[in-house]
Amino acid sequence: MGLERPPAWKRILGSEHLAGWAFVMPAFILIGIFALVPIGWSLILSLQNNNLLAPGHYVGFANYRALAKDPAFRSAVGHTLVYTVLFVPISVVGALGLAVALNRKIRGIRFYRLAVFVPLVTSTVATGIVFLWLLDPTFGLFNYILHAVGLPQQQFLQDPNQALYCIVAMTVWGWLGFDVIVYLAALQGIPDELLEASKIDGASSWRTFRSVVVPLLGPATLFLVVWSTINALQLFDEIYVTTRGGPLGSTTVIVYYLYEQAFQFFNGGYGAAVAYVLFLGILIVTLVQLLVGRRTVYYRS
Amino acid sequence: MTAPRLLPVETPPEKPRRRLPFSPRHLFLMPVAAIMLVPLLWMVILSLETEVQARSFPPVLIPSGLHFANYPAAWNAVPFGDFFLNSTIYALSTVAGNLLFCSLAAYAFARLRFVGSNLLFIVFLATLMVPYQVLLIPTFLIVKKLGMVDSVGGLIAPNLCSAFGVFMLRQFFRTLPIELEEAARIDGTSRLGILFRIVLPLSLPALATLGIIQFMWSWNDFLWPLIIIDTANHAPLQLGLSMLQGAHSTQWNLLMAGTVMSQIPMLAIFLFAQRWFIRSIAFTGIKQ
Amino acid sequence: MKRVCLFVIGIALLVAGCGGSGGSSSTTSGNGGHVNIVIWHGYTQAEATAIKTLTNEFNATHPNITVTPQFYGNSDYALQKVLAAIAGGKPPDISYLYGSWAANIATNPGTVNLTPYVSQSSFGWSDFWPAERNVATVNGKVIGVPALVDNLALVYNKRLFAQAGLAPPTPSWTWSDFENAAIKLTNPAKKQFGWAYVNDASEDTVWRYWALLWQAGGSILTPDGKHAAFDSPAGVKALTFLQTLAQHHAIYFDNGSGNYLGLFTSGHIGMLYTGPWDLGQITAGNQPYGVQILPGDQNHQTISGPDNWVVFNNGAARVKAAVEFLKWFTSPAIDLKWCLMTGDLPIRAAVAKLPGYKQFIQKYPGVGTWVENLNNATQSRPVTTTYPKISTVIGQMVQSVLLGKAQPQQALSSAAQQVNGILAAPS
Repeated sequence: MGLERPPAWKRILGSEHLAGWAFVMPAFILIGIFALVPIGWSLILSLQNNNLLAPGHYVGFANYRALAKDPAFRSAVGHTLVYTVLFVPISVVGALGLAVALNRKIRGIRFYRLAVFVPLVTSTVATGIVFLWLLDPTFGLFNYILHAVGLPQQQFLQDPNQALYCIVAMTVWGWLGFDVIVYLAALQGIPDELLEASKIDGASSWRTFRSVVVPLLGPATLFLVVWSTINALQLFDEIYVTTRGGPLGSTTVIVYYLYEQAFQFFNGGYGAAVAYVLFLGILIVTLVQLLVGRRTVYYRS
Repeated sequence: MTAPRLLPVETPPEKPRRRLPFSPRHLFLMPVAAIMLVPLLWMVILSLETEVQARSFPPVLIPSGLHFANYPAAWNAVPFGDFFLNSTIYALSTVAGNLLFCSLAAYAFARLRFVGSNLLFIVFLATLMVPYQVLLIPTFLIVKKLGMVDSVGGLIAPNLCSAFGVFMLRQFFRTLPIELEEAARIDGTSRLGILFRIVLPLSLPALATLGIIQFMWSWNDFLWPLIIIDTANHAPLQLGLSMLQGAHSTQWNLLMAGTVMSQIPMLAIFLFAQRWFIRSIAFTGIKQ
Repeated sequence: MKRVCLFVIGIALLVAGCGGSGGSSSTTSGNGGHVNIVIWHGYTQAEATAIKTLTNEFNATHPNITVTPQFYGNSDYALQKVLAAIAGGKPPDISYLYGSWAANIATNPGTVNLTPYVSQSSFGWSDFWPAERNVATVNGKVIGVPALVDNLALVYNKRLFAQAGLAPPTPSWTWSDFENAAIKLTNPAKKQFGWAYVNDASEDTVWRYWALLWQAGGSILTPDGKHAAFDSPAGVKALTFLQTLAQHHAIYFDNGSGNYLGLFTSGHIGMLYTGPWDLGQITAGNQPYGVQILPGDQNHQTISGPDNWVVFNNGAARVKAAVEFLKWFTSPAIDLKWCLMTGDLPIRAAVAKLPGYKQFIQKYPGVGTWVENLNNATQSRPVTTTYPKISTVIGQMVQSVLLGKAQPQQALSSAAQQVNGILAAPS
């Protein structure tokens, strides 16, 4: 509209493309060196027969072909999916409820928030030990309570049919705090005037929550669902400190299977192949989630 | 800086007063808090017992006496002061690095349109999808090439920027109303200026959350320090505490005392940072 | 805020720079013939103090060599650290490595072949227990110096035995004596168990079963190592022994967390199959206890789980220094010092002939039985790269029988089939 166009070099320097790349460059360099290169290295490893001790030799896609026929791997995938499908909704929905309850100024609210945060900072080892005790078939607190109310004793972590569900409970307990503080932070971004407007319109608190708060928490929910799924599919630490994949392999999840292969059987290459198949699976699931999110999540800008 | 406040508004008549003298939320939050606190309580109890009591199973929940001496004993059994120092440097550096680098990248992904941004974002996310067990050795090889084995720098370098932070901040930045940024742009503010003077101040809750989480990850990190550190007094806390943990016999009372001591800064930081990620501005009657 | 950030980053890089220069443990052997070597271990508490004391003593008496001990975490984590160091081309000079890793470690080209050193008469190789020598030798090559030896013996609670009116175990106890006692000692009302068994399907589950198999006269593999031999009548007998006790609910199943020990010292378990590593806590607990060799069937064999000091090649001078240290460290007089400080069993027979040995037996009441029991550790597990996979199969087999999910014969046949498959696969 009559404005002089700046010279080409200024346009390029000021362009959004350059700015965008300049902004991401530090992160890109760091993530490139310390994450992408190792991921590339392990891709190479997955193409080898390598026990991480003697020099490996290339076997092409043999590891992947063997994985496709491996019944133990298929079991591991099954266990991982069952775990994920339970863990993600329970922890995200539970956290939302808890965050809303904690987003108040009642007396002692700081203490409650701290309490919810505590499991997150407790080391996995300590958590494992405590839960092993709580769930002990003979001496554990839970069976003590069951006994007191007249219910039969459960084997919990020693029962192949119950162990995985106990792990779900244990990890929900351990990770809830994380989701809660993300939701708490997101709740701060909801302007009071929207809530007031809804109230003035005569909406009940539940209606306000459902129609105003939840949609505005969309970005946070998407983030938590994607992040929880990525984590759930990579479950390992809690299994390692409690059931070690048992009893009878009922809690062997994919990463635990990887660990067994690489660090107990010294099949480094095969373990790397497991990691890559898992990676592809997670990538596909995440992309689907992001695509769904793109359609359903409302960003206020 | 906060979101713009509304002018005072006539609030609708209050609901009838509750019959309880305290908020009914306590009835819900108390048991939840109790459940959450069980392991911490167990740790504290064990940390005050004698060695024999602490090793008992089922656990002795009512100690015969309070052996506070376990705390100085744990401090002296291993170089605790060094552990604390190393952990502090490690945690603060990774928090600073993540806050800075993730903000920059997240802003670009949230607000700037640049060629390849979608693909790059997916690539970033992809780095979260490979289990760490296969990445330990190659990361070690890289850090070794950089000459940082057995040093705090070696701890910090791979953790200075994580795709997790980029992802989380991108989500938060996108919830901010874009009008403020557009206005500033028209005024001629540089993009960097917009980020630092408008976007970040509005994002304190998200930044505080990222800070807390990253601090916690660094503070509780065990496996990477184990791989990269050789000398005992370069070790951070969790690695150092494992020196109290034998393959067959652990001094539980000392280990728990050490663990409790190591958790206190985490909890203190959380309490302190609450002011940033929980607005403590007085609410209107709506939120009662 | 940007300034603060840059400041902190600057600090971080500064620290990185400092750390990088000072933390390196690489040394040359060029400065006047002085050699620095590093020894990696997972010792804590008494053993950690002992290794510091002894390496200090060595350094003082051997001016040309400095040995630095470094803690490398425990068990599985340690393996990851060692593998990383090997991948990085700078392994420690000496590392404590579990016996179960020996066969795989031997495939590493940097693992030093110690045969020429240990076959010298001054080393006294034949003085070390056979179980140790078996684990240190892979395909005829000696790749480790024994670091630890142990075995499983029977530990029992004298008070519970007296309460149940049972005579204490004797060296000629049979399996049925044991079964009888275990069942009598079990009292659900008091939450008391006759026996404890580690039932996490790990090697801890497996090696106890091997002891039972050997006692029944069976063996793990055929002599050529190509086929499973455990699915024999002896194997069935051993599994049935476990099944019977499990059906009587006489066994507390430990899930690998070691809670059985806390239960024993609080008087909830009558008998344990365990090793000298638990002795410290058993002594500190307030239960009167006794130690006896394992009850037997055809024999009273036990199983031993030795670990190795492995030497990695960081140059001829450092290898020589490492071997010299290990020779000194495992000499009878020094090993006795170690035993006195830690309660570990002597790693060679000559130690038992030293005058100070009596002190050792008295300081750790019951340890003498374990030392004598070493003579019953006549067989060893196969030292092959396939053993870890075999262990997983057997672990699941034993666990399934103990949990009542499988019958002994069927479990054994299925396991044997899997093991044969593992042995037949090209490595």
